[in-house]
Amino acid sequence: MTTRSRPRPDEAVADLPTPRTTDDPVVVTKAPDTSVDVRHPQRSVAALGNRVLRQYSLVFLLVASFVLYSTWSKTSSVFLTGDSLRVMAAGQAVIGVLTLGILVTMVAGNFDLSVGNIAGLSYVMTATLYAKHGWGLWAGVVAGILIGGFVGGINGVLVTVLRVDPFIITLGTASAILGFIDWYTKDQSIVNGIPDGIRNFGKDNFFGVPDIVWVLAIVAIVIYYLLEHTPYGRNLHAIGSNRAAARLVGIRVERSIATAFVINGLFAGLAGVLMLARAGSMTPTIPPTLALTALAGAFLGAASFKVGRLNVPGTIVALLFLAVNITGLQYAGVANWINEMFTGLSLIFAIALAAVLSKERTVKKTRKTA
Amino acid sequence: MPAVMAGPRTALAVRGLSKTYAGHLALDSLFLQIRTGEVHALLGGNGSGKSTTIKILAGVVAADTGGEIVLGESDAVGVHDWTPAKAHAAGLRFVHQQPAVFPELSIAENLAFGAGFPRGAGGRVDWRALNARTAELLDRYEIHASPKTPLAALRAADRCRVAIVRALQDRDDADSGVLVLDEPTAALPAAEVEHLLDALRGYAEAGQTILYVSHRLDEVLSVADRVTVLRDGRKVDTVEAQGLREADLIEMIVGRPIERAFPSAPPETTGDAAMTIRGLRGGPLHGVDLTLRKGEVLGIAGLLGSGRSELLRMLFGAHPIDGGSVTLDGNDYAPASPQGAMKAGVAYVPEDRQAEALLCGESVRHNLTAGQEASYFRKLLYRHRLERSDAQRSIGDFLIRVVSDTQPVETLSGGNQQKVVMARWLRRRPKVLLLDEPTQGVDVGARAEIYQLIRRATEQGTSVILVVSEPEELAHASDRVAVLRGGRITTVVERPIDAHKLTELMNTPQVTGSEASQ
Repeated sequence: MTTRSRPRPDEAVADLPTPRTTDDPVVVTKAPDTSVDVRHPQRSVAALGNRVLRQYSLVFLLVASFVLYSTWSKTSSVFLTGDSLRVMAAGQAVIGVLTLGILVTMVAGNFDLSVGNIAGLSYVMTATLYAKHGWGLWAGVVAGILIGGFVGGINGVLVTVLRVDPFIITLGTASAILGFIDWYTKDQSIVNGIPDGIRNFGKDNFFGVPDIVWVLAIVAIVIYYLLEHTPYGRNLHAIGSNRAAARLVGIRVERSIATAFVINGLFAGLAGVLMLARAGSMTPTIPPTLALTALAGAFLGAASFKVGRLNVPGTIVALLFLAVNITGLQYAGVANWINEMFTGLSLIFAIALAAVLSKERTVKKTRKTA
Repeated sequence: MPAVMAGPRTALAVRGLSKTYAGHLALDSLFLQIRTGEVHALLGGNGSGKSTTIKILAGVVAADTGGEIVLGESDAVGVHDWTPAKAHAAGLRFVHQQPAVFPELSIAENLAFGAGFPRGAGGRVDWRALNARTAELLDRYEIHASPKTPLAALRAADRCRVAIVRALQDRDDADSGVLVLDEPTAALPAAEVEHLLDALRGYAEAGQTILYVSHRLDEVLSVADRVTVLRDGRKVDTVEAQGLREADLIEMIVGRPIERAFPSAPPETTGDAAMTIRGLRGGPLHGVDLTLRKGEVLGIAGLLGSGRSELLRMLFGAHPIDGGSVTLDGNDYAPASPQGAMKAGVAYVPEDRQAEALLCGESVRHNLTAGQEASYFRKLLYRHRLERSDAQRSIGDFLIRVVSDTQPVETLSGGNQQKVVMARWLRRRPKVLLLDEPTQGVDVGARAEIYQLIRRATEQGTSVILVVSEPEELAHASDRVAVLRGGRITTVVERPIDAHKLTELMNTPQVTGSEASQ
């Protein structure tokens, strides 16, 4: 329970709602309550500075790392070149689409650990459809996306019908997909037969920016719109905040969650198509850390802009932060293991930060009680 | 109630306790004297300084320098030297609002977390010794259960008593030290409250000194020997509880004479039925017949487990219905889901605000809109500005005190949170509003405002079914009260409604014909 702060001379009384009018039929004898509930009195410059520092700390870190690799003698010669930046950005497109897609399920309080393998499935199946079955360019793209949506639908139905922790379910589907990929590809790569349209899309630039980075930008806008500017997105936020309450305000909880898994799957399917575009060929080994990297990006993103809330701009900054540092460290001569190491540590850091932030909140809450 | 013994000794005295939070006085030079063997109630609205006092006594909050704390015969200790360890050594024992008990573990294990596990050879837990010690404690505190019983199997009041025993177990003599109970009944259902209060009276009679913090006036009057009322960090007075009325206490808490804390009922309701319920069965209900008139507040009186909450949930499509029929405005009404109920114009405010109503982490604005987002989505654009202006209007209309509509809802006080939940539904002008304990955890002032909002809604044509545990409050707030017992409505009481009569009826298995009407 919160305290009623006593009216102070400097407290603005004017902006409060009038408690009641005199001709009100009700006699209420409580003295007019001039209190307001205040958590952050955001008046002082220090408090404002503190808030800015918090919201944009990851942005500052991103800028700082960028400056570091641009000036550090070991990296400066290669880091700040157009080609290097393009490679770095294009390298983030696949993981970026995965991360933005996983946001949709995470906002509703769910996880999907299978996104990496869904992308992998779409990747190998699209390649096979092109090379072995002679599918057309667009038919293949649509098929790749729909394959993702289909597997996402299976996840969604299992999670909402069985009501089992999505963590377990999607860990299961992730493993099953991997097995299916092994059986389906018979461990054989596909080098020929991928349409040029797709291969070029993975290499070409548009206004100096790689095509697939444009795709990432469009996906970011779509997800942002979906989560913040549609009733469906707002319902997902409500479900993530309090499932029981969401149900009691008439939100169709199960249907919304299942749909979120489908959407998440569709974007994972798209990520798979982008994987194929970038690689230009298919090797049936799926990087095992894709899902974890997506989780790290989403969690790290929740630590900036709208602190404590999963959000698209924060996620983008988090992805750039991971990309700049991993690329920078690789240029500096650190071996490839830095990729996974840095991602893993960032995930742990992001979750620790979230825990600290929520703890701080509870402390503030208890302090307020008088 | 035990008479205070002649020439009472002082168990605990505090002198000149002050606490400043961020420049304003939360507690202003408090003097308090608690006699040995008495139940001393500490009363006050939210922000009156009750919790601050308790926290200073517990040593978890440092008071401003200058005050003193004296326990029994020992020397006065300056508050700046007070620590949790000193509080414990001096014999102060605290049981908080939501005591940290472990429902899945046995009583013996729960107690062992306070006193430690007795060890046998090789460091193993000596279960036999632990169970024997627990059995002895349960016997002494008259809790009828085996030490191995999981806590979850106990009734709610007994779980709370176990928490009390855990706090007291390491002391041998009952009449030293003070047991401090901070809103022990806040989380208890009504039927359990009396059971706990009985136990407390027993402990007091055995010589235990108790400092009882609460904002439930009826409880305080029934259990306390003396009452200290705080308001705005200052002590209003310490008075004998004997002969006090609730109205006296409300006057002291609020600071002005109270004429009516509850709005009076409009004399006439049209008599048309807003909702008729015939033979409704499901869960604990075995055939409920009830007619809700247009524009009335129909109270439901019933003990815990009588099915009062289930009745509301069935009418909102959130609990399966086994049989019976319901009409709404003359049309058949059989909601299969909350969506269906909402479409028909029925609204529901659940009992547990935190668990079932609030979207914590979301703003006040989003909480107000919850479930109605689609109405702001036009031509593929979300009309945020319209949503904001609606939210700001609701904040004014429904007396919600906030800094801005973007404030996270969990930062509001209980009363304001509840007003947000009420506003969420009332802004849609529902035909029927189902309210389950709308004033739980809400202070006296906000409580009056919530009833004012309900009354205003009924004037605009909403009909209300109200479930409240406290008979006094129910009697004041309702136009009629239906008594639910054994899964049926046993009687309907018209105005004037007498709270004691309600209590009686709720507890009486059979009602003779003359009282049953409607």
